[in-house]
Amino acid sequence: MVEKIKVERFTCWYYDVLALQAITLAVHEHEILGIIGPANSGKTSFIRSLNRLNDLNLTFRKQGTVLLDGKDIYAMNPEALRRRVGMVFAMPLSLPMSVYDNVAYGPRRHGRRGKKRLDETVEKALVAASLWDEMKDRLSDSALKLSGGQQQRLCLARTLAVEPEVILFDEPCSGLDPISTAKVEETMLELKQKYTMVLVTNNIKQASRVSDRTAFFLSGELVEIDVPSRLFVTPRDKRTEDYVTGRFG
Amino acid sequence: MKRLFDWIIERFIFLCGILAVIFVALIFLFLLREGVSFFGSYSPIKFVGGIYWYPTSDPPQFGIISLIVGSLFVTVLAACLAIPLGVATALFIAEIAPRWLKDVLKTVIELLAAIPSVVIGFIGMVTLVPLVRQALNLPTGLSAFSGALMLGFMALPTIVTISEDAIRTVPWSYKEGAIALGATRWQTMYRIILPAALPGILGAVMLGVGRVIGETMAVMMITGNAAHIPGSVFDPVRTMTATIAAEMGETVRGSPHYEALFAIGLVLFVITFIVNFTADTFLRKARR
Repeated sequence: MVEKIKVERFTCWYYDVLALQAITLAVHEHEILGIIGPANSGKTSFIRSLNRLNDLNLTFRKQGTVLLDGKDIYAMNPEALRRRVGMVFAMPLSLPMSVYDNVAYGPRRHGRRGKKRLDETVEKALVAASLWDEMKDRLSDSALKLSGGQQQRLCLARTLAVEPEVILFDEPCSGLDPISTAKVEETMLELKQKYTMVLVTNNIKQASRVSDRTAFFLSGELVEIDVPSRLFVTPRDKRTEDYVTGRFG
Repeated sequence: MKRLFDWIIERFIFLCGILAVIFVALIFLFLLREGVSFFGSYSPIKFVGGIYWYPTSDPPQFGIISLIVGSLFVTVLAACLAIPLGVATALFIAEIAPRWLKDVLKTVIELLAAIPSVVIGFIGMVTLVPLVRQALNLPTGLSAFSGALMLGFMALPTIVTISEDAIRTVPWSYKEGAIALGATRWQTMYRIILPAALPGILGAVMLGVGRVIGETMAVMMITGNAAHIPGSVFDPVRTMTATIAAEMGETVRGSPHYEALFAIGLVLFVITFIVNFTADTFLRKARR
């Protein structure tokens, strides 16, 4: 089992409020790591630390290390890091431009030009996000006209077009109906062959359906991490049991 | 009773709303009346196409080409200075400056808008004009260039404040989305934030340029007021607004000269109307 990301004693604060407390865990290559936990448990802070999106917040401070393929991400160029570690947000974040331009946005920023190569990249990304069939005739439509589920898969396509190694999902289905959710989940499972994924979700069932291992966060602490069949059935920690059985919060 | 009160308030608000339209229409009609009676005695072609503005010679000549060119020189040059500087300043305040600097800059720039234009004109006359003359070794510092510098300066607060508002209202999520794809700060600003804020920025530019076209006091004091076609931006020029302001006091009411000044006003009105209309069309397109 190759450890793609290794987090060691990672602690962070906003202002002086502790958000994460000495988190140590590893994300294996080609797995989907689910992260569950109630609000304010630190799950979003955690994945935003993996692509250094927290850097935008000037009150953010951290201790400990995050290693990507054994290299400290906080010593890397942040733009280069975010190219390797993509992110899909909770709210579908279509940029105010056409479907095509949305997907081509990342590759263009990273200096990929040439219509033919861009066309290929866009098609590949849309196919991978299971959006090509719906979108192939609508590439020049404004992305803001798509439905919520389509926009979310468009955001996934946009992330894929940059050809990252890791994809972070921050509650990607929180605003979607069950059918769109099922489509996104299906897509994630297909993508597992090529990518390593971290999925933050409020939906415990989703975590048990999709993830290979699930981590339970509570008040900035990692309580337990295990395969779903154990974490959801025979958790070791009382707090995990209370949460997954719905007795909690 | 309550319904009557409602009725009265409703009518009153309607009246307030319609009042602005009525005023604009009245101003236009008034200008039109005075202008048209002028064109009865003086050919409009000679007016718009004439080079010489000699209102007191005999027979008088009312050619406003030199005035139009004067206004154009000053306005275009001022816009060229104020728009890039203003938008860049707005971007700096909204996106780059640390909190304390942001507050300081915003306050100071808003204060700048509160300075009366006579004061700016006066300061320009005693400081900028001699400086321009010496630095560029010109016969006089009273020139289109000096006027444009000062006017650009006066348009800055409008452009900066409104552009900054537009930039700040771009959803944070757009920015985050771009950053998460590995875009740099500059790429995000240039490709995402500026385009998203463009309608607001265009509006800011329009208002700023509007102020420049209509400005009278400062240009009258700084540009030299020579009614001839300038050879370069470093020549003295006279704008349409300055002509009206300077000569209105010495004309006889109802004389051809008096009416000619109203005709200039009409031309100004038409120009500002065209500028506003084009900007509005662009804005509507940009929003869609």
